[in-house]
Amino acid sequence: MIAFEFLEPGSLKEAIALIDPDDPEVRPIAGGTALMLMMKAGVFRPRRLVSLRKLGDAFTRIAAAPAGELTIGAMAPLSALEHSPAVARVAPVIIRTMRRLSNVRVRNVATVGGALAHADPHMDLPPVLIALGATIAVVGPAGERTIAVEDLFTGYYETALAKNELITQLRIPAQDEVRAVYFKITSGSADDWPSLGVAVALHTEGATTKSARIVVSAATAKATRLKAAEAALTDVGADDKTLKKMADTAVDEADIIADLRGSASYKRELLRVYVARAVRLAMQTNGVPH
Amino acid sequence: MNFVGEITVVAPREAVFKALSDAPFFASCIEGVRDLKAIDATHYDAVLETRIAYMRFNFKVAVQMSRVTPPEEIEAKVEGTPMGMVGRLTATATTRLFDADGGTVIRYSIDATLTGKLGSMGQPVLKAKAREMEKQFSARLAAAFAGEQPGTPP
Amino acid sequence: MTTATVSGGQIGRSLPRLEGRDKVTGRAEYTHLMQLPGMLHAKIFRSTVAHGRIKSIDTAAARKVPGVYAVYTSDDVRKVIPDPYYGPAFHDQPILAIGKVHFVGEPVAVVLASDPHVADQAAQQIVAEYEELPAVFDEVEAAENKTLVHDELKPAGTFADLKHLKGRKGTNIALDFRLRRGDVDKAFAAAAHVFEHTFRTQKVLHLPLEPHASIADYRDNGITIYSSAQGPSFVRTEIARLLSWPENRVRIKVPYLGGGYGGKLYIKLEALATAMSMLARRPVKIAHTMEEHFYTITKHPSTFRIKSGLDKDGRIIARKCEVWWNGGAYADVGPRVTQKSGFTASGPYDIDNVSIDSYALYTNLTPAGALRGFGVPQLVWAYESHTDMIARALKRDPLEFRKQNLLRDGRPQATGTILKDTAIEKVLDRIAERLNWKQPFDRGKGVVRRGRGFAVAFKAVISPTTSVAIVNVAADGSATLYCGTVDMGQGSDTAMAQMVGEVLNMPAKSVRIVPRDTDVTPYDMGTLGSRSLFHMGHAVRLAAEEARAKIGDLRRELGEPEGSNAPLADLFRKKYGMQAGNIVGTGIYKPDYIPPDANGLTTNATPFWMVAGSGVEIEVDTETGHVRITRLINVADVGKPINPKIVETQLSGASLMQLGFSMFEKMHIDGGQVTNASLADYKIPGIHDVPPVMENEVVDTYQSNGPFGAKGVGELATFGVSPAIANAIDDAVGVRLTELPLTAEAVFRALRAKDNKPLGDA
Repeated sequence: MIAFEFLEPGSLKEAIALIDPDDPEVRPIAGGTALMLMMKAGVFRPRRLVSLRKLGDAFTRIAAAPAGELTIGAMAPLSALEHSPAVARVAPVIIRTMRRLSNVRVRNVATVGGALAHADPHMDLPPVLIALGATIAVVGPAGERTIAVEDLFTGYYETALAKNELITQLRIPAQDEVRAVYFKITSGSADDWPSLGVAVALHTEGATTKSARIVVSAATAKATRLKAAEAALTDVGADDKTLKKMADTAVDEADIIADLRGSASYKRELLRVYVARAVRLAMQTNGVPH
Repeated sequence: MNFVGEITVVAPREAVFKALSDAPFFASCIEGVRDLKAIDATHYDAVLETRIAYMRFNFKVAVQMSRVTPPEEIEAKVEGTPMGMVGRLTATATTRLFDADGGTVIRYSIDATLTGKLGSMGQPVLKAKAREMEKQFSARLAAAFAGEQPGTPP
Repeated sequence: MTTATVSGGQIGRSLPRLEGRDKVTGRAEYTHLMQLPGMLHAKIFRSTVAHGRIKSIDTAAARKVPGVYAVYTSDDVRKVIPDPYYGPAFHDQPILAIGKVHFVGEPVAVVLASDPHVADQAAQQIVAEYEELPAVFDEVEAAENKTLVHDELKPAGTFADLKHLKGRKGTNIALDFRLRRGDVDKAFAAAAHVFEHTFRTQKVLHLPLEPHASIADYRDNGITIYSSAQGPSFVRTEIARLLSWPENRVRIKVPYLGGGYGGKLYIKLEALATAMSMLARRPVKIAHTMEEHFYTITKHPSTFRIKSGLDKDGRIIARKCEVWWNGGAYADVGPRVTQKSGFTASGPYDIDNVSIDSYALYTNLTPAGALRGFGVPQLVWAYESHTDMIARALKRDPLEFRKQNLLRDGRPQATGTILKDTAIEKVLDRIAERLNWKQPFDRGKGVVRRGRGFAVAFKAVISPTTSVAIVNVAADGSATLYCGTVDMGQGSDTAMAQMVGEVLNMPAKSVRIVPRDTDVTPYDMGTLGSRSLFHMGHAVRLAAEEARAKIGDLRRELGEPEGSNAPLADLFRKKYGMQAGNIVGTGIYKPDYIPPDANGLTTNATPFWMVAGSGVEIEVDTETGHVRITRLINVADVGKPINPKIVETQLSGASLMQLGFSMFEKMHIDGGQVTNASLADYKIPGIHDVPPVMENEVVDTYQSNGPFGAKGVGELATFGVSPAIANAIDDAVGVRLTELPLTAEAVFRALRAKDNKPLGDA
C-alpha cells in the first residue's frame, strides 16, 4: 500500500488544523466503518487521515438537560446511544431504530458524527434525527456554528460541511409528547441497507395531528423532509381519508430513484403505504411496534 | 444502466442540431470534460473528471459520432477507462430532435455499462451522480440557448 | 451389504465437534492465515469486457510501483506450463487469459509483491486493450448458438460420456443429457389434462466466509500447495498433469475450510499459484478478497420448461423436462451437474413416460459449478412448483395429489433404477403432520394474509466415486485416522472419528484425525455432493475393521484367551518387547454403478437416494408484497444419524442458505458486470432472517447399504425450501411466482397484475 499519515490529535483545535481543506486526500476519520470500505474498494486513497478518537471524553458524552434536551458527543459510538438511559427517556425511537441498524459490530465502532458526515442516504439515523428536529454543532477554523440536521445533506455523500469543519455535538431538543416512528424497509436480508426509510414525529391532541415532521430516506439521494405531506397533516383529524391524501402527497413530493433494491415505481408504493403506517403507528402506540 | 430524458430548448431544430453536433460545444455542457481533442471529423478524445463527495475519478474517454442524421438524430459511442483503477465505461447515447411549439424537444437515451471496480460497487451512488450530471447538462444546454453562459452556441 | 453395529457406542451420539474449541478460540488453521518464509503475494488484474480479443496488456506502470517483484501474463505462464488449461470436465479454462477473455472478471495478469496491498495497487495500474466481441448471457439464447463463447470444445477425457463432444465447433452446448422412458408423445396425446410451465433461477454464489486462498511452493524436485480445497486428491492429479509430473512430486495440504459449499472444488487458485511460484521461484500466495468470489464460481442460473400429462383420475402419465443450465464461460463441473441432476429432473413421482433433455451451456458470465445440491435445488424449484400448480388447477389437495403419484420403494425411477431405502412418503407425511395440513388453516382477512406450502424431493448421489482411508493403531493403543475428506464446517472429522471409535471400541474424541495432506492421506474423490459420510464412511469403517481384525490376529498369535480384553498397549509390548510397532488397517470403497445408456437409462444410477422436504407457514403483506416466513420445517431421510446434533445443524444451515437464495440473493449483472459484487450489496441471511419457528426432523430409517445405516446429509435441506415458499405464497394470496428470488417487489407486482393494475417500470 502506498503509505499515508495517520495522525491522532489530542484536541479539536489541533485536529482542525491538520485537515487541509484544499487537499481531498486528507480526511478526518471517526469510527471508520464507511471510510475503510471506500479505501478497501480503492476509490479513496488518503494522503493523511486525522483520527478523532483521542479528542477527549467530552466528545463521547451523552447528557439530558432537565428541560429534556439531549446532547450527544459526536464521537459517541452508536451502541452508546443504543444503551443510554437518557436517550431511552427522551427519544426512545432512536433505541428502536438501532435494533436493525447494520449490526452490533458496526454499532460498536461507528460514531454519531460519522453517521451524519458520511451522508449515505441509506443510513437509518439521519431521517430519525431530522424528524426529531435535531441540530448539530460544527466547529471549523472560524469557530462554531449550528446546522439543523435537515439542512446538512446536499446530495449523495455530500454535506454542507466545509472540508475542515467537524461535527462536535448532536443536539436533540426536548421531545415533549412527541410520537415518533421509524420504518426501515429492506428488500434483501433484514440487515441490508434499506430500500426505503420513513421517519415521522407527530404532535397530537386526541385523534388530531397538530403538527408533523415526515422524512424519507434511502429511496432518495438524500434524507429529505416531505413538507407538503407534513402540511397535509397539520391540524387535521388523522382519519383514513386524510392519511391517504397525505401519503399521495408524499409520493408526489419525493424524488425517488431506482436501484438494485427496487424500482422507483415500487418504492413509491412502499412510501405510500409506509408513510401512512408510520403515522398510524405513532398515533396508536407512540411508535412501539406491535 | 439506462437513462432517458427530454429537454426542451427555445431554438429552432436546425440550430439545436448544429450545436449538438459540434463537439466542443457539446462537451462544454458536460461538467468535468477537459482536454478535448479532435482525432478526425467523427472521433474525439477527452478526459472526464468527476467527483463524488471527496472521491475523484478521471476517465480517459474516446468518443465516436457513429450516426449523424441532420437535423434529426445523433448517435455517439463512448469508451472510457478510469485512470489508476481497473475499469471500463462504454456508452451509446442517442439523441433525437423534434419540433415543438417555439422550440425543439431533445429526447435522449443513454445506455451505459461500467465494468471493473467502479461497476461492481456503488450503483446507487453512480445513478445519483448520473442524474445530477443529466440535470446540469440540461441546465447548461437551456442556458446556452437562452444566450447565457457557460456554453455559447456556435 | 448390511453392516452389523458393534458395541462401541459411538454411533448416534451428539458428540461436540472435535475442532469446535480451536475454532471459537481462533486457533484453527486456515490457508488464509498461513505465511511461508520468502513468500510473495499475488493480486489479479481482471478482464473488464465480457467477450473480447486481447489487443495489448500494458504492465509497465505496474512494474514501476515500488515493492513490485514481477508482473506476469499468459505469455509468461506458457513458458513454464506450455498447455495451461484445466478443468474437471473440460480442459477449457486457462490459468491466465490467452488471446481472448470470456467474462468480466477473468484473470488476465498477476502482480507479485512482498506486500499484498502493493500488489493490489500495482494491479490497478495495468491497462489492457480489447477488441470487443458479441457476448451472450442468457442460457436459452446461448442454446441457439448464434453467439459463440468458445471456438471449439475441449472435453477433458475424464468422463466417457463427454468424448463425443471433442473438437465440436459452432456450439455453446457443453453437454446434452437425454433420457427417454416409455412413449411421451403417445401419453400426452392420451392425456386428459396437460400442463406446461417454465421456471427460472437466478445467479447466486457460494460465498463462504473464508474466500479462496492457495500458497504454492515450487522446487525443482516437487511442489507443495497449501489450499482451501474441497478435493485435495483432484488438485494433486490435475497439477501433476499440468506439470507432466508423477503425482508423488505434488503435495497438497488442506487445513480447515471456512465453508465451501462446492465453490472450492477442483482447481480454483492452485494452478495459478503454481505457475506464479514456478516463474518467481519463491512461494506465492493468492488470497482472494470477498469481492473476488463473484468472479470465481457461482451456482447455475437455469431455465426449466416442464410439461405434464395426467389421466382423468389425476395420475401423471407423462412428463417432459427441458432444462438449460447457464454454465458461464468455463465448464467447471457443469456437465456433471447437467447429467447427474438430469437423472431426477422429473421428480419423486411414479411416471411411466418421461422425456428429459438437460443442456449445459457456455455463456459470457462467471463460471458456474456445484452449489449445495448439484443442480437439484433448481430442479425441485420447478417440479414442486409445477406439481402444486397442477393440484391447484385440478382443485386437488396438494398432499393427496402428491401421494397419489408418489414414487415408492420397489418402483423404477425415471432412469429405470429401482428405488430402495427412500422414505419419500414418510418425509411427506411428517411435513404434513407438522403443518397440521388436514386441519383448517386461518388465512387471514385483512392486509396480512397467511399461507402454507411444502415440497418434497430426492437426489441421486454422484457416482461412481472412490474413497480410501487408513487407520493406524499405535503401540500405546491410540488410533489415528488418515482420510482425505475435508472438514469445511460440516463436522466430518467428528463423524469419521465416531465411526473409528465405534469399530475399535474407543471414545471418538480420542481418535486423532490427520489434517489433509496428499503425502499422507490417501485418495478421495472429493468432499462434495453429500457423498463423504457414505463413501468415506465405508472406507473408514473398512479400515477400522481391518485394524480390528489384525488386533484379533495379534491376540490369537500371542495366545490371549478368546474374549480377552487385555489392553492394546500390553499386546504391543508383549509382541515387540517394548512400546513399538503399529497396526495399520486400510479401507477402499467404490460402489457399483452402471452408466446410463443412450436413452439415459440404467438399472443402477446411484448407491443411495437422498430424500428431504420442507414446509413453511408465511405471512404476505398484500400492500407491499413482503413475505414473512413464520415457520420453517425441514424433514429428511438421512438413514441413521451418526451425530444427531451435527445432522440438525446441517439441516438448519442448508435450509437457511436456500432461504437466502429463495427470498433475495441475486447477482445483478449489467453488460456482463456483476454490479453488486460485495457483501455491502449482496446480502446473505442474517440472524433477523431466521424464521421465528424452525423445526428439523430426521425420519426413523436405516440405509441398508450405508455405513452404520447412514447416508449423506449436507445438501438435503436445500431441496424443498424455494418451492415450499412459492406454494405458500400462492396459498396465501393466489399469485404464482415462477422466477427466483421471491422478492417483495415480485410478489407486489404479481398482486397488482392479478388486480389488473400492473405496476409500471419507471
